[in-house]
Amino acid sequence: MTPVSGGYAVDVPTINVSERARGEHATIWSTFRAFAVTLRRLFTSLFKGDIPTINYPEESRPYSERFRGTHILTVRDDGSLKCVACYMCATICPAECIYIEAGEHPNPEIEKFPTRFDIDMMRCIYCGFCVDACPEEAIIMSREHHQSVYERSETIYGIEKLMARPGIDAKGPGYRPNRPMAEAKIFKKQEQQTCPFPSHIEERHPAVLYESMIRRRG
Amino acid sequence: MPKVTINGQVYEAAKGKTIIQVADDIGVQIPRYCYHPDIGIEGSCRMCLVEVKSAPKLLPACATPVTENMDVRTDTQRVHEAVRYAMEFLLLHHPIDCPVCDQSGECWLQDYYMAHAGHDSRYPLGQKTRRRKAFNLGPLVKLDQERCILCTRCVRFTRHVTKTNEIQVFNRAHNSEIGIFEDRPLNNPYSGNVVDVCPVGALTSADFRFKARVWFLKGTDSVCAGCSTGCNLRIDHTARAAGGGIPGYTATDGKIYRTVGRRNVEVNKSWLCDEGRLSFHTLERWPRLRQASVRGKQQPVSALLPVIHANFESVRSDHGDDAVAALASATNTNEGLFLMKKYFKGRLDFRLGREVEQYQQQQDELLRRYDKHPNTHGALDLGLAGGLGGLRRLRDLAEKKEVRGMWISFHPQLVGEDAPEIIEDLKRLIEALEWSVVCTTHDFGWAHEADFLLPMAAWAEEKGTYTNYAGRVQIANRAVMPAGDAEPLHVLMAELLNLSGVEVPTDPAAIFEWIASEVPGYGGLDYDAIGPSGAAVAPVPEEVLR
Ligand code: SF4
Ligand code: SF4
Ligand code: SF4
Ligand code: SF4
Repeated sequence: MTPVSGGYAVDVPTINVSERARGEHATIWSTFRAFAVTLRRLFTSLFKGDIPTINYPEESRPYSERFRGTHILTVRDDGSLKCVACYMCATICPAECIYIEAGEHPNPEIEKFPTRFDIDMMRCIYCGFCVDACPEEAIIMSREHHQSVYERSETIYGIEKLMARPGIDAKGPGYRPNRPMAEAKIFKKQEQQTCPFPSHIEERHPAVLYESMIRRRG
Repeated sequence: MPKVTINGQVYEAAKGKTIIQVADDIGVQIPRYCYHPDIGIEGSCRMCLVEVKSAPKLLPACATPVTENMDVRTDTQRVHEAVRYAMEFLLLHHPIDCPVCDQSGECWLQDYYMAHAGHDSRYPLGQKTRRRKAFNLGPLVKLDQERCILCTRCVRFTRHVTKTNEIQVFNRAHNSEIGIFEDRPLNNPYSGNVVDVCPVGALTSADFRFKARVWFLKGTDSVCAGCSTGCNLRIDHTARAAGGGIPGYTATDGKIYRTVGRRNVEVNKSWLCDEGRLSFHTLERWPRLRQASVRGKQQPVSALLPVIHANFESVRSDHGDDAVAALASATNTNEGLFLMKKYFKGRLDFRLGREVEQYQQQQDELLRRYDKHPNTHGALDLGLAGGLGGLRRLRDLAEKKEVRGMWISFHPQLVGEDAPEIIEDLKRLIEALEWSVVCTTHDFGWAHEADFLLPMAAWAEEKGTYTNYAGRVQIANRAVMPAGDAEPLHVLMAELLNLSGVEVPTDPAAIFEWIASEVPGYGGLDYDAIGPSGAAVAPVPEEVLR
């Protein structure tokens, strides 16, 4: 088996393909030689336990720490979303697949938080620019990359799906370049059973505000 | 006229002008925070310092009048350093929370920092003075004291422009802060303007706050349709699809997010009233009419227009020309009204209520007028206040069966509400008519009584001109696409005219040329001559007003 370190193969021998092709004449002997390779592999894996295949998807190869898989929204110590809805990620995103709606946070020091944060994973090109752009380390990436769903709409991840996904634990986070600058936590379902969204969202639909102004002015 | 040299170039300047005014006129950039052309001089931000030969110290350009042979330099090392130090002081305790600040993207601190400062802060972040964040000054305005740079533009706005004095500077020196008295919220009818004048993110609009980042928005110059004053404004709307391909909320046809005042010294200076500023929300107040229908059955507009034309023709041939009439409103553009007049051969009226009496009456000293229609003057210029006598009289005529078929274009008032008696009269009018076409913007219940229902583009969805109370014709541009199948009135009318055999363009600029060739006072004008700030037309003759 090719030695693997950090997800990448090392010490892979170089093969000159044209030379190899010249040596491989399509004769009966090369056919037998191929059988011999197959049998040797069969016996080594049967008796020596050296099995190069794995039971994907139950098992998978280790991925790089910088793997750019589906995103994670990180949380503060109190479990609330770290994102301040600054739209930096939506601005940089070359695929224009991030949709944010911002609301007034009950704490004026934080001021802003996303009432809606959707990423269209089918549109995302996993470039990681959003993670680079985020000033809060509020969005990082995971090592998950499966998109096996029954409907297209399920690939649009909302806040809850971006915050807490089973499987983050097993695989761990991926691309996270701003770690030295900001420390963000990953939401754990075991600690808190419900997603702690700020419950207080100020109701100020423009039409409502407008009506109240008209009434006030007579 | 004194001769002034600015950066080595000699200019003639009007006497009494300040250096910054002359520089603005000739396009030399001088940075400033506290100076605003419409609210007077303060000289507190020290950003506009310039070097004047013969003056030992740098002089504030906003407060120094030009004199004969003045030699001004705005580009010397001394000036650059002075501006840089002013910026450093202004940013000393600034929180720099640009990511969550609504102003970012159009913030003068950001712009001038990039252009003139570029320093690293010498003050550790944790030691900056903290002040009160994000609290209401009034129903429309929020203040963040940390971000305020104490330019006092807002204070001077309430002192000199609205004369209501709600906003004040409290305390002294480092403790100075902007605020209001507890029992006097900022609720004058022009309060939204302080958000426009605030050069930084200290004052933000409660209506627009967090709705969108400004760099996603596109600005389209337009004119407010809230009343007959016709204030100039800029409509900020989505320019591209927000949210990419996410189904359901991709804004493909654009959405208006806010309007801001556009400077026009002849009309509104830089101001807008709050009702006008928020008037675009009126368009969201009722569901929009998206499809044409005949007695409840949906039909494409293109299939309906020939039927409508044939019906008008048959009413005319059965009962004479006078049995057909039309009613528009003074919220329609000159272009729409003019073509309508052509198609209905002058049997068109626009008076729903008391527009003609009110359109020049001021509601307050500043901007607002009682007539909440933007184009009453234009409709009068087009000669639409003729013998039909307005909505009430048309209703009587219809009840007497003198008028049998009518086209009714209804655009709701953007400010306030249409009087209930207008709606009542419209209902009775439709009931009395033998057959009727209602062309309107929203899905009003009463409109369904009509035989034909056509969707019409609303303000900001069509391009056209309005003539304001003082006879200034101004262009309102299209910012967003009309809802559903809606078409601007002038397009519908152009198609009807084409059906009746008159070749008419659908381009509003071309229609306006036709207006200019026929309507007295508009001669010689075209869209280029009107431009972004409008052009005055000759006054309405007295006998038309009577
Ligand atoms: S990874 Fe790239 S494409 Fe995907 S959401 Fe982030 S910025 Fe957009
Ligand atoms: S995830 Fe980061 S970059 Fe995106 S809106 Fe939230 S704080 Fe801003
Ligand atoms: S006022 Fe300007 S510099 Fe200050 S936080 Fe807001 S955008 Fe940034
Ligand atoms: S709130 Fe804005 S306009 Fe008022 S003084 Fe402060 S920075 Fe100037």
